[in-house]
Amino acid sequence: MLSKFNQKLSAVLIFLVLLVLSISNLYPLFYMFMNSIKSRTDYFINPFSVWDLILTWDNYLTMISQFKILNLFKNSFIISFFTIILLLSIGVVASYAFSKLNFKGKNILYLLVISTMFIPVQATIIPLYVFFSRLHLVNTYWSVVFIYVGMFIPEVILLMTSGFRGIPDELIEAAKLDGAGYFNILRYVIVPMGRPAIILCVIFYYIVTWNDLFTPMILLQSMDRRTVMVALAALLSRYSGDPTFQFAGLVLASIPAILVYAIFQRYIIMGISLGSTK
Amino acid sequence: MRRPYEKLRNYVLGWGVSRSNGMRGMRGFMGISLRRIKVSQGVLSILPVIIILIFIRFYPMVMAIYRSFTNWNGLYRSDWIGLDNYVKIFTNSPFWTLLRNSLVLLTTVPLQLMIGIFVAVLLYEEVKGWRFFRTIIYLPQIIAAVTIGYLFRVAFSLDGPVNLVIRRMSLDFLAIEWLGNTATALGVLVFCLTWFSIGWQAIVILGGMSKISPDVFEAAKMDGANFWQRTFYVVIPMISRTIEYAVIMSMVWTLTSIFAFIYTITAGGPGYETSTIDYMIYTKFYQAGAPYGFASALAVILLIIILTITVVEMRYTNKVSEWE
Repeated sequence: MLSKFNQKLSAVLIFLVLLVLSISNLYPLFYMFMNSIKSRTDYFINPFSVWDLILTWDNYLTMISQFKILNLFKNSFIISFFTIILLLSIGVVASYAFSKLNFKGKNILYLLVISTMFIPVQATIIPLYVFFSRLHLVNTYWSVVFIYVGMFIPEVILLMTSGFRGIPDELIEAAKLDGAGYFNILRYVIVPMGRPAIILCVIFYYIVTWNDLFTPMILLQSMDRRTVMVALAALLSRYSGDPTFQFAGLVLASIPAILVYAIFQRYIIMGISLGSTK
Repeated sequence: MRRPYEKLRNYVLGWGVSRSNGMRGMRGFMGISLRRIKVSQGVLSILPVIIILIFIRFYPMVMAIYRSFTNWNGLYRSDWIGLDNYVKIFTNSPFWTLLRNSLVLLTTVPLQLMIGIFVAVLLYEEVKGWRFFRTIIYLPQIIAAVTIGYLFRVAFSLDGPVNLVIRRMSLDFLAIEWLGNTATALGVLVFCLTWFSIGWQAIVILGGMSKISPDVFEAAKMDGANFWQRTFYVVIPMISRTIEYAVIMSMVWTLTSIFAFIYTITAGGPGYETSTIDYMIYTKFYQAGAPYGFASALAVILLIIILTITVVEMRYTNKVSEWE
């Protein structure tokens, strides 16, 4: 009896602690959203107020019409899109080789590829900037895309190789006997069987590239090429700014990532618990 | 599935020759040449990765190391000046302040880890709604650092929510300008990074815990081990590999990936008081006169620090597991 009561009690306690933690994670977002639809005066009277407010979407309309945030969304999206396409096409092929093919020097090459993960991007950014400006690639989407691919490909390979290792060799042998060549093996065996790892890469690197600030900030300085995070960071660094307006921009910029997370969170949690990405 | 030109393409590219029917019977005595085809398949597969890594990672890294011994300005001035940049960094620059800041920020790693283990152990009990809590606890990682940084800057500004609450509790003397002086500004950064990383730590630790057999916990419970005993004597020893991974990753992350937080919360100020090495590389990038040689030397030092951490940590943890 007593132990059962104890168990109930500890379950309630754990529930409460987790609830408090969750609120501490959700409240800042709620605060940001509430204040983004308040008028400036209401915000300065009391930023915590929730009731009896005159709500307005003006900040959002200004964000779209004046700040042209949808244009910035387009830039961010193009960069994320091409980064993912390149990461996948290069990553799937390489991970297939690392997990299923045998060739000389495979292990040492794998180690070399993975160890580039630890080269910080700040250490390479200045030579890269100069290199890209010689190629007239500064202020183009490609400069950022190429750097992202270089930065994230080791993690993608780590993730996919461990995923592909789980595919039974018999399946590949059977496909070979049926006359499947290299590309057909990829198409009919590796990609369908390794789908969890591939989906995880798409979602994870979509969110990471969408949220990143440093690389696009250095390489995209022209106004019409900036990503949404670069533009917002520039807006926020004006200390005299209007917080309710800035909150509206941040809410809009958070929506794509949160939406993707809400739909695919199972894959992300699974990937993180496999312990391969940060 | 097969197209007429496929045979030609396979012949040209040397891919998948072994599959064409005429060759199948020959596998025995053509073993050598078939193996060579396999070799080229593997190497060709990873060739794109190697090319990208050479151009995007190795070349710039080697360049940074070489330029760190010059007075490079990004254009044509690039004279060999030996160790001058390094001497300047160690004697006449805010380098030691940057290093102190990095060390202070590294204290978030044990903090995150402890809270993360605690949260993971709570989630492991699978109380009602634990999946929902797990999702929400990881949520900060999805929000852009720019957004989180700005929220913290607003929260800790002079008339921000934190000071409002403090004033309402009539503790006016505590309502200070948090971001205006070094100690409290660093404190805010530590708080922010810890809050941001708890979710990641919890999910990684939970992943490690899911590999432990539930019988172990049952046995510990039968023996009368309480919550804390189970955490310290069962969970932590059994997931030492996961903890090692989490510590390395968060240390490297703290040293290299917190640019956006610093940029939005304190902008490295006042002065260089809350900057880190990677933040100073960024400021040197925009500085008049383009001291890129100097910045490259900073980059090399950052590189050495990170390499040392990973190598030492891996050596050390390997030894520990040997002793066990």
